[in-house]
Amino acid sequence: MIPAWILDIFAAIMLVVAAVSAARLAMARPWQHGTRRAALTDVDGAHLLMAIAMAGTLTASLQTLPNGAWSVIFAVLTVWFGYRVVRDAQVSGVRALAGGHCAPHFIHAGAMLYMFMAFTAPAAHGSGGMAGMAGGLSGMGTLQLPLLAFVFALVLIGYSVWDLDQLSGPGASGHYSLATARTAPTGPVLVAVGVGTSAAGAGASAGPGAAALSPAASATMAAEPVTELADVAGVPPASGPADGTGVLAPWVATGARIAMGITMAFMLLIMI
Amino acid sequence: MSEIAAAGVRPVGRSRLGAGAQASRGAPDVRRMLQLGLAGIWLLDALLQYQSFMFSKAFSQMIGGTSAGNPGVVASPINWDATLVAHHAVLLNTIFATIQLLLAIGIAWRRTVRVALAASIAWALGVWWFGEGLGMVLTSSASPVNGAPGAVVIYALLAVLLWPADRAGRPAPFTAARAVGAPVARALWLVLWLSLAYFALLPVNRAPQALNGMITGMESGEPGWLAALDRGAASLVAHQGLAASIVLAIALVIIAAGVYLPPWAAKATLVLAIVVAAVIWVFGEAFGAILAGGATDPNSGLLLILLALTYWPVRATVTGPARTAPALAHTAAAGADEGTTGS
Repeated sequence: MIPAWILDIFAAIMLVVAAVSAARLAMARPWQHGTRRAALTDVDGAHLLMAIAMAGTLTASLQTLPNGAWSVIFAVLTVWFGYRVVRDAQVSGVRALAGGHCAPHFIHAGAMLYMFMAFTAPAAHGSGGMAGMAGGLSGMGTLQLPLLAFVFALVLIGYSVWDLDQLSGPGASGHYSLATARTAPTGPVLVAVGVGTSAAGAGASAGPGAAALSPAASATMAAEPVTELADVAGVPPASGPADGTGVLAPWVATGARIAMGITMAFMLLIMI
Repeated sequence: MSEIAAAGVRPVGRSRLGAGAQASRGAPDVRRMLQLGLAGIWLLDALLQYQSFMFSKAFSQMIGGTSAGNPGVVASPINWDATLVAHHAVLLNTIFATIQLLLAIGIAWRRTVRVALAASIAWALGVWWFGEGLGMVLTSSASPVNGAPGAVVIYALLAVLLWPADRAGRPAPFTAARAVGAPVARALWLVLWLSLAYFALLPVNRAPQALNGMITGMESGEPGWLAALDRGAASLVAHQGLAASIVLAIALVIIAAGVYLPPWAAKATLVLAIVVAAVIWVFGEAFGAILAGGATDPNSGLLLILLALTYWPVRATVTGPARTAPALAHTAAAGADEGTTGS
């Protein structure tokens, strides 16, 4: 039996992720910025829900909603992110299916749905199926279709490792500093994309990492929906004094995603 | 050179800005991708180490079991380790799992990749002895089909071959040669695969029912479909132990020699290596018995596949002082912060 305090540590990490995601949602103020920004808060909303659900699964005392409700929620999230992956693929090509911004969230939501659907409580608990999922790890239930659990775990591990690499990569905030690219003017301009530029100022001026763009490229940029820029890390692109800094910094969302990915893979593997 | 190149950013206007944004993530080069593969397997190991089975007495018994057949000088420390784990199962297993978790994170985090790889070598060699009984290579019961020469020693080998440094001068014909040079890398490959061929021909492995018994032994606890696969494979080699061993040994020798062949032939033998490793992983190792719920790692098949990829011929890149400006830009773009230029 896994010591309860180990499960509690993972649950505590999930509570931190939930708190951070809630703070990001609150500070992003989507209700003040219309539907465009509201649509981009789906990532933080998904993180919040997944973290709460996982905490409740890891520790029975943190159980919130019944399992049926969680299944419905994650089914909706899976469909939503699946739709966004398809939309990304239509815009950016097939590579978006694996490497696009929404693909990891689609996998996360799918893994959560699978966990709640495939859980089988131990016989001693006397309740089959999903009834035993909440707090189920302390009772050590198992998952049906263990191969699927293994595949989900491998994919989640892959995304987590990739995110860690990107988070520590050249410029550190490279993947994650695009929130302010919305400020790039149209036309032939210099745009700093990168190395060592802060999240807040990357797109505003030519810096050490500046490179000239052709007029055609800039025109393409101008035609790009603003949402595409922020999609990379799930950072709201709309204006606001705190965009891309503090708890709204893109790396925070990525850090949350890494923590959830590892925790989710952990849960899947110990329930095989 | 602009820093935008150093960051691995392709011209933003190449397509949509979204694509440029993707490029700005600093796409890793081949070696970095392989390092991430290694990090992923370490992470898988760490999470498997947190399974409930590992906190039970069964884990210490599993460790103790690897001492059987080993010489006393090897077996004694294993027995001591098993006893220690039996008495402090929760504490020690938590430490083991956490170390592996930190190794995975350290390799994935570019700024700590050197420290983590070095630590992973030390850790892997320790586990190879204390946890795997040196892969049973001294017991005359090792078999390439059940994980010889020990999965964890392949982690150490990969850490050496994927070390983030480049030898100056001659171009590296494949990724594994970048840090240690082509002759050393080829020699390591040769030794590994020839040793596997040798193990395949051990008397215990060429007995009529040896391979059959090894495969059917993996059925326990596996899902029905995998157990059925194992049964099918076992029936194919029933009473064919000698023939199967010879065929396997020939394939392993061809693979061993493959890295000395011209690139097209080397690629063919590497494909053979990947196929053989995949067959071993699925049928001989049942995915490392992960689906049975008691595995500490994915066993050797997956590692051998990753190892084969490190020997895949690549367009030679001049490294070290002799590198050209474009090559420097490429290398910097791919791995500036991973320390690849530290030759």
